Amino acid sequence: MKQDIHEYLAEFDDIPGTRVYTTKRARQGYWINQFAMSLMKEENRKAWLENEEKYLEGWPKLTPEQKQALLDRDYDKLLDLGGNIYFLAKVFSTDGKSYLQAVSTMTGMSVDEYRDMMLSGGRSPEGLRSKSKGY
Amino acid sequence: MAQITAGISSSHVPAIGAAVDLGKTEEDYWVPAFAGFDWTKEWIMKPENKPDVVILVYNDHASAFDMNLIPTFAIGCADEFQPADEGWGPRPVPTVKNHADLAWHIAQSCILDEFDMTIINKMDVDHGLTVPLSLMFGQPDAWPCKIIPLAVNVVTYPPPSGNRCYNLGRAIRDAVESFPEDLKVQVWGTGGMSHQLQGTRAGLINKEWDTAFLDDLTKDPERLRKMPHIEYLREAGSEGIELVMWLIMRGALGDKVKELHRHYHVAASNTALGHIVLEPVE
Repeated sequence: MKQDIHEYLAEFDDIPGTRVYTTKRARQGYWINQFAMSLMKEENRKAWLENEEKYLEGWPKLTPEQKQALLDRDYDKLLDLGGNIYFLAKVFSTDGKSYLQAVSTMTGMSVDEYRDMMLSGGRSPEGLRSKSKGY
Repeated sequence: MAQITAGISSSHVPAIGAAVDLGKTEEDYWVPAFAGFDWTKEWIMKPENKPDVVILVYNDHASAFDMNLIPTFAIGCADEFQPADEGWGPRPVPTVKNHADLAWHIAQSCILDEFDMTIINKMDVDHGLTVPLSLMFGQPDAWPCKIIPLAVNVVTYPPPSGNRCYNLGRAIRDAVESFPEDLKVQVWGTGGMSHQLQGTRAGLINKEWDTAFLDDLTKDPERLRKMPHIEYLREAGSEGIELVMWLIMRGALGDKVKELHRHYHVAASNTALGHIVLEPVE
């Protein structure tokens, strides 16, 4: 029953437009995600929104690139740098944004276009299951 | 003795919780999503069906567990749990009251059965646990039954295999059936169905695949047990992997089940909303 771990992980890279949250990403994004967790406290949300750059000074292990992506609310970039969507949810929730609003920013569609796509059945998996096999 | 009387599964989309809390359930967008739960709301409050305890399988969404602690299976054993502040303040829902005697019993029994459970006392519970409660019970002043939280890691890879989840369900059934108090116990598996919350593939929905998954909970659970993670990822989107938690519910019901009710709606926010009620067949 046991799968070979190398084959298991390699398959993840074959999925178009998807970053699977592996331990490698978890290690890379540890401080992004722990930073996001801090926004579960009201006083921290307030301090972050009042002066974002000052708040980030309290997180010296974040790389300059990670800090900039947080300031820019660049969720696609944050995922590349090891962020996880459930942790990043604390960041967009603090901005008063929903999952739908935040997620749509990664698709190249406007929020309205994305919402309409979801209401008409969502994005088809056709052609988006595998890069190598193209199905 | 305690008995498993039914299994329920449901998505746990956070926007559903927000719709309930903000009184938006009558809006056009939400009416079809909630309509499919009317049957269950009525069924579950009939005396012959009403559970004394729900074992509620869900995943924590970076609320109780941060990147410092990633338990694969964690069972809540404290007397009560408060709703978590997930970044917009805690949901205005009742405190979750546990059946701690049964929870500790399940923890001990499962560990002896070679499932190395993490025991957790201090823990806030997030939308993964409270949204299914709102869907099944509405907005009461207190939840009408005791709730045992069972949190599964489906965030950091690898999550447990579907087969492991199914077998944990069986171990939970054995544990429940060896508990001396007369109790009606339901197991709920939550999360899913197809959805992806990231990247250019965000918004993926696969109705055909979801429907087959719902069908095979009754017709062919062996297929679901053997399904590798990569199939969930390719077919049901990166967050569709939550469906392995439904297999804990399914495993707890024994070999044969009868489907009592089903609901499927696209879309609730980013997600294909799925819901099923199953009953064990002796």
